[in-house]
Amino acid sequence: MRLDGILFMLLSWAVILGLFGYSMFRTLSPKHRTELDKQTTQPPQNGETP
Amino acid sequence: MSKQRWGSRLGVILAVAGSAVGLGNFLRFPGVAANNGGGAFMIPYFISFFLLGLPLMWIEWTIGRFGGGFGHSTAPGVFDTMWQKNRFVKYFGVMGIFGPVVIFSYYIYVESWLLGYSVFALIGRYADCTDLESMRAFLTGYQSLAGTEHFPAGTAYLFFIITFAINIIVLSFGISRGIERCCKWGLPLLLVIAIILVIRVLTLGTPDPARPENNVLKGLGFLWNPQWAALKKPEVWLAAAGQIFFTLSVGFGVILTYASYLRRNDDVALSGLTAAATNEMAEVVLGGSLVIPAAFAFFGAAGIQSIADQNIFDLGFLTMPLILGQMAYGQIFGFLWFFLLFIAGVTSSISLAQPAIAFMEDEFNLTRREAAVLFAVVTFLLCQPVIFFLGNGVLGEMDFWGTTVCLVVFATIEVILFGWVFGIDRAWTELHAGSDIRIPRIYRFIIKYITPLMLLTILATWIFNDWKKQLLLEGVEEANRPYILITRVGLLGLFVFLLLMVRIVWRRRPEATCPETDQ
Repeated sequence: MRLDGILFMLLSWAVILGLFGYSMFRTLSPKHRTELDKQTTQPPQNGETP
Repeated sequence: MSKQRWGSRLGVILAVAGSAVGLGNFLRFPGVAANNGGGAFMIPYFISFFLLGLPLMWIEWTIGRFGGGFGHSTAPGVFDTMWQKNRFVKYFGVMGIFGPVVIFSYYIYVESWLLGYSVFALIGRYADCTDLESMRAFLTGYQSLAGTEHFPAGTAYLFFIITFAINIIVLSFGISRGIERCCKWGLPLLLVIAIILVIRVLTLGTPDPARPENNVLKGLGFLWNPQWAALKKPEVWLAAAGQIFFTLSVGFGVILTYASYLRRNDDVALSGLTAAATNEMAEVVLGGSLVIPAAFAFFGAAGIQSIADQNIFDLGFLTMPLILGQMAYGQIFGFLWFFLLFIAGVTSSISLAQPAIAFMEDEFNLTRREAAVLFAVVTFLLCQPVIFFLGNGVLGEMDFWGTTVCLVVFATIEVILFGWVFGIDRAWTELHAGSDIRIPRIYRFIIKYITPLMLLTILATWIFNDWKKQLLLEGVEEANRPYILITRVGLLGLFVFLLLMVRIVWRRRPEATCPETDQ
């Protein structure tokens, strides 16, 4: 494996893992989870099924 | 009729990611990348991801949630609410039901092979197949439904019934208790299995000390060493755009349906990004570290090119079992490989079923169970030609209409509708309603101009290169032509039937009502 191949692989992984880590962190961060829990644990409204 | 909802935000993200992560992530991507410039391929790949894949992902999430507010979970209703002045746009939405039903009808059969091979791997049923020819004979014997020395007659049909039943059971439990629960368990399990396999492959080192040049590092080099000259070839850029397009599950109408079960102010921007990033991680980081490095370590430079050129069926069902069979504990790793693909298949196939089921629930007021049973009856019948006339080109014909045609045309309609008819200002506001992130403003320009242009280029190139050949059955054996033509007529009949259903539903319904205000 050439050096430029290693660099491309590591760079690609870094971009994707960075994007994945950032978006998952934001999705699962306590602030957002609390907001969601408020929405999703409330009793069904207007005849909704949970 | 009560409106179903997702139980949690992570649940819908995993369901969308589960829909996107499929066989293509592990089998198609490595071959396409290796054959189109290696590491250099990642430049057009990432450009396509940011200019085509991500915008389409956001568009489907946004219009799905918008249509869901009007009580529509499928494309005909969603398109109609987006362009209420146009009486015909709802008929274009039929592709968002037709395509997934057609794909489901053959995909589920391929999925059942994966279940069958998981069992075969575990009990060592193909252990005596030591070359490609014997593995091919094993697969052909399995597909023919005839008994061989490896299994009794009808084994493939039995696994098909089991796989079909699993899907329908999950679907009958609905969005939250069925699909969401399945994906919440399935996708993490899939990622864990993939990580185990990647660790095993990356620690293979040099399996045969007599051939030190055949090692995993060189296999990674085969995939990642950039070939700069490839960037000058338009077909490499087209291959990258095609790979991004197919891998993200956009253009099926599936994400649109999933997003319709969100509430008005649930985030779609961050959720879409998370689902796309999860799929990319499974494809590039995990998928790119499995097949090619393992194949290189065992077959070396001489054999790797022919392996990279293989179609995904040969790669998955012939080559990988041979490679994994040569490792210590090969039966276990063989099982993990096929079970990984089976899980990926289930999370994708249940998503393909959802638009049709949602259409019956929304527009005909059927209960979830009734809709699932009706869907099961129709698709079970549609599966039979695929199973019994597999060798006559039926599957390829369904794949062409369900995947290639519907996907590209549907996505093109979606993006034009969103950026031009709905209007980019309104679309931008809708996309950011309840959003947890701000999308860079450059995406207003990208969504309105760049993404449609890229889609139209893909559409034009494919029409020019492939569609004429496919439509005129060029290169098809004379004996297979009647099967393919009958399939084509049957698919046309299904499409017309769905058009009529939409017409009947809209004739008897009142004008669109105000959006739900359940927040």
